[in-house]
Amino acid sequence: MLERFALGAQVALQPYALLMTLLGVAWGILGGALPGISGSIAMALLLPFTFGMDPAVALMMLAGVYVGAMYGGSITAILISTPGTPGSAITVVDGYALHQRGQSGKALGVSLVTGTVGGIAGVFLLVAFAVPLSRIALAFGPPEYFAFGVFGLALISSFVGRDLVKGGISAVLGLMLATVGTDPFSGTPRFTFGSVDLVGGVAAAAGMIGLFAVSEIFYQIAEGVDWERIRGRYTTALPSLLELWRLRVATVLGIVFGTIEGLLPGGGGAIASFIAYNEAKRWSKHPEEFGRGSLEGVAAPETANNVVTATALIPLLTFGIPGSNSAAILLAGMMLHGLQPGPALFDRTPHVVYGLFVGLLVANLFMLGLGLLALRPSIALVNVRRPFLLAGILGLVLVGAYSINNSMVEVWIVLLTGLVGYSMRRYGYNVLAMVLGFVLGFMVEANLRRSLLISLGDPWVFFTRPISALLLALAVLTFAWPILRRIREERLSVAGAEQGLAERAAG
Amino acid sequence: MRRADLVAGLSFLAVAAVYFHQSLFIVRGFASDRLGPAFMPRLLAGALALLALALLARAAAGRSEATPPSPARVRLLAATVVLLVAYALVMPRAGFLVATPAFLAAVLACLGVREPVPLVLVAAGVTAALYGVFGRLLGVLLPPGPFGRL
Repeated sequence: MLERFALGAQVALQPYALLMTLLGVAWGILGGALPGISGSIAMALLLPFTFGMDPAVALMMLAGVYVGAMYGGSITAILISTPGTPGSAITVVDGYALHQRGQSGKALGVSLVTGTVGGIAGVFLLVAFAVPLSRIALAFGPPEYFAFGVFGLALISSFVGRDLVKGGISAVLGLMLATVGTDPFSGTPRFTFGSVDLVGGVAAAAGMIGLFAVSEIFYQIAEGVDWERIRGRYTTALPSLLELWRLRVATVLGIVFGTIEGLLPGGGGAIASFIAYNEAKRWSKHPEEFGRGSLEGVAAPETANNVVTATALIPLLTFGIPGSNSAAILLAGMMLHGLQPGPALFDRTPHVVYGLFVGLLVANLFMLGLGLLALRPSIALVNVRRPFLLAGILGLVLVGAYSINNSMVEVWIVLLTGLVGYSMRRYGYNVLAMVLGFVLGFMVEANLRRSLLISLGDPWVFFTRPISALLLALAVLTFAWPILRRIREERLSVAGAEQGLAERAAG
Repeated sequence: MRRADLVAGLSFLAVAAVYFHQSLFIVRGFASDRLGPAFMPRLLAGALALLALALLARAAAGRSEATPPSPARVRLLAATVVLLVAYALVMPRAGFLVATPAFLAAVLACLGVREPVPLVLVAAGVTAALYGVFGRLLGVLLPPGPFGRL
């Protein structure tokens, strides 16, 4: 264990790795500050750059982008009341109120410092959970893996998009896409129409850039997304130790909910920051200040969303299930380098996993310094006129896609998947569920068939083993829950309408 | 939006049918298991068909959310997509340094930049920056076009 950390540190502390992590964090702050460009989109835009790198360094850089984006998102939340990333949505309430009271610098400083605290706490929690969980995952047999895959799919398709039917369709389409290629069990070619390896790691990475980044550009064009200019000059005012001590309850609550959201697939920091904000208000000695410019109201969500930057990696690294958009991009980064996430990763390529742990720690320290320096460039970028910004990002995407493989194929994939992603978003489908279906398709099918081979065809194998039975029960529950809730709501509204009619008839 | 769900539902039914039909041609190998390579595809085709029917039933009942975007904005997006497709077709032949500034200028004009000086400066500047980073720093072999490499 200790040797592995030494190995990780050796990888993460090379000058080249440090430089790339620094650049990643800086890119993340700038991208995160731009409304609409969330951490995952900033990561997707950087994905082509990481292709030629050592896989450990590539993942550190991508993780650094995610870390930086969380602070970047709070800049626009505080200064123009427009969250740069979904994770900063609730920061707007008190951050902007502080800005209106002339305390913008203090709000930014609290966001930066509590974010760093959260990020570092997140790394320790990541190690504390991921290492033992990967041991458990190693003991999983095919039935458990199958059940886990089904559970992950059920969770994402029913909770993320809110629309069960469309979430299900998205997941099934992803699973269908995964069946193109070689059958995971007997090696039989399927749906390949003669050509081998239709969807490789490179194409998958290009697809993610399209689905997550290009779709957002299309969305901004089609919906006419616009935001205010940031006026005036600001400097970050770091909070004193005494001030930080007063924020301890809010910070701890942020850490708790950031950890919970990271463990559960489906979040990207937005839910954790909302819950942390509400709980911080409940626990606060001055709940009346919330909404009027409470520093605790900034500290709680900004801690929570930075904790998620680390803890969201737990399901990805241990079980190979990306629970959020950013984890999906990180997975694409792994696929580009031929790495298969999951428990075996810890033993097969410890320098990548432990390098990522150390790299995340470094990224958070960099964020503390860069947060002070990058404020002015971020504001300048946010104030660039929208057409210039969109054209610049389009240019970056096109060249980036081309550069992955020096070919136009990836450019076409990016455009096509960008349109698919935009349409899915536009009509309420669930992009993450589709990506998850695609990623898990191979694993789910292989383990289904392997299980039945072991049990000699007896399907009860999934229900007689406790962990697999529990996971499948949870999967059914997550899928059934929204249906049950809707039925209840309808029954209530029908009852209400009947009562209304009865009253009208009586009156 | 009801119409969108109807169209989508019918399309997904068609996808499920074509996919199921294609799964009939999967060859069962020697070392195959009980379920075989065609089981999962058929299961998925069935699942998609069921979900598509649910979508159609819901659309027919008139229950749906979301509002359509404004036609002017949709035209703007369509124009951008046309420019992107044109760029992807032309760039390998015309070369990166020719096609990219032309494309960027067209996109900027399309998105409402009317002043010629910033338009040209930004189109040229972004191209130069991309060429510097990708072409020089990262050593990507960008299509040189008729004028060769710089």
